Amino acid sequence: MSGDATKALGKGSSAPGPVPEGLIRIYSMRFCPYSHRTRLVLKAKGIRHEIVNINLRNKPEWYYTKHPLGQIPVLETSQCQLIYESVIACEYLDDAYPGRKLFPCDPYERARQKMLSELFCKVPQLTKECLVALRCRRECTDLKVALRQEFCNLEEILDYQNTTFFGGDCISMIDYLLWPWFERLDVYGIADCVSHTPALRLWIASMKQDPTVCALLTDKSIFQGYLSLYFQNNPNAFDFGLC
Amino acid sequence: MRFCPFAERTLLVLKAKGIRHEVININLKNKPEWFFKKNPLGLVPVLENSKGQLIYESAITCEYLDEAYSGKKLLPEDPYEKACQKMIFELFSKVPSLVTSFLRRQNKEDCSGLKEELHREFSKLEEVLTNKKTAFFGGNSLSMIDYLIWPWLERLEALELNECVDHTPKLKLWMAAMRKDPTVSAVLIDVKAHKGFIDLYLQNSPEACDYGL
Repeated sequence: MSGDATKALGKGSSAPGPVPEGLIRIYSMRFCPYSHRTRLVLKAKGIRHEIVNINLRNKPEWYYTKHPLGQIPVLETSQCQLIYESVIACEYLDDAYPGRKLFPCDPYERARQKMLSELFCKVPQLTKECLVALRCRRECTDLKVALRQEFCNLEEILDYQNTTFFGGDCISMIDYLLWPWFERLDVYGIADCVSHTPALRLWIASMKQDPTVCALLTDKSIFQGYLSLYFQNNPNAFDFGLC
Repeated sequence: MRFCPFAERTLLVLKAKGIRHEVININLKNKPEWFFKKNPLGLVPVLENSKGQLIYESAITCEYLDEAYSGKKLLPEDPYEKACQKMIFELFSKVPSLVTSFLRRQNKEDCSGLKEELHREFSKLEEVLTNKKTAFFGGNSLSMIDYLIWPWLERLEALELNECVDHTPKLKLWMAAMRKDPTVSAVLIDVKAHKGFIDLYLQNSPEACDYGL
């Protein structure tokens, strides 16, 4: 997690200065799945960037000038342009930076990836609800049934396509957009939700072999340490694992 | 379906770009079984091309058309300007469901609450126009984001929700400017027809989708 190892800025912190030429800045949080999407794209495309972590439980006052609701991720360019919503940020990076294109060039294939992204859209909320239920020692059987159904829909796509990844035989944007939630299944305690979706399990294994995914993979014990502190409402949760 | 605001987005783009197309209207109160092969969710709009490729979700269909067809580009080429249009689209995202909730409202309390929420959402759009100091959401000419937003503003009068733009003068000016656009006027449905459809639709009439034909 090199380059990501900075303490989260909170209330009373000074606003960081302008973004230097040749760099793009991402406002992030080390364990946030939405920011994770954008960090994957930054890494996959080899884009020079700096990371400013935000304390989401104690947001700096200046951060609301970057995002009206104080959400992450936000990209800031050296021309003071701000881009937010994780998917918009990912698309922006693919458009604005040369080199490896993560979205296909063909308009229909691009549309397919966007339709797949829509198919996935209930998963983030469901995984979060499962996590909260489990941590609060509540029942989450119905939630897990709902999540399994969503995973079935994705399984169907992989079965129908008969490809390793969601966009074909090579990893592409749609895989990176989905990945953060699958990386978290184990540490959230819901890895059994893919027990009946073998193609999805194969996809997970293939993703874990991708150099970009590996480079950003969070150590399980560090994630668990963060989750424990987070659910105890400890404001230092976001810095867990930093020296 | 002739009265669907989501499908209207796609029709506006087809017309604005001069794309040759055929329209097949679907009775949303009595969907043909074969339509679920076009979109498993059974929703309109869906695009189908001569290669049998199917594209759905209105915003996705609009982007697809802009990318796949030559001529006037409705989305900006500049990556940041394009991202700005998408951020405005997100800002607008609560309006469709608020309008649907208003249509289906049960009582007076729901009504005033929903009107207030709509008013709040419209204020956000007003702020964009104020900050940009332009006539349209993408600049001084009409572009994709204007077409994506328009169908719901078109329906305000028929829904008796004009008061929701009372405190948003720039948005009102934008609405007037939109009505002058040749593409918008070509696709525009008059207030009477909108009201006729809405009445039948709320009664779950299978004739609703064909109102006026």
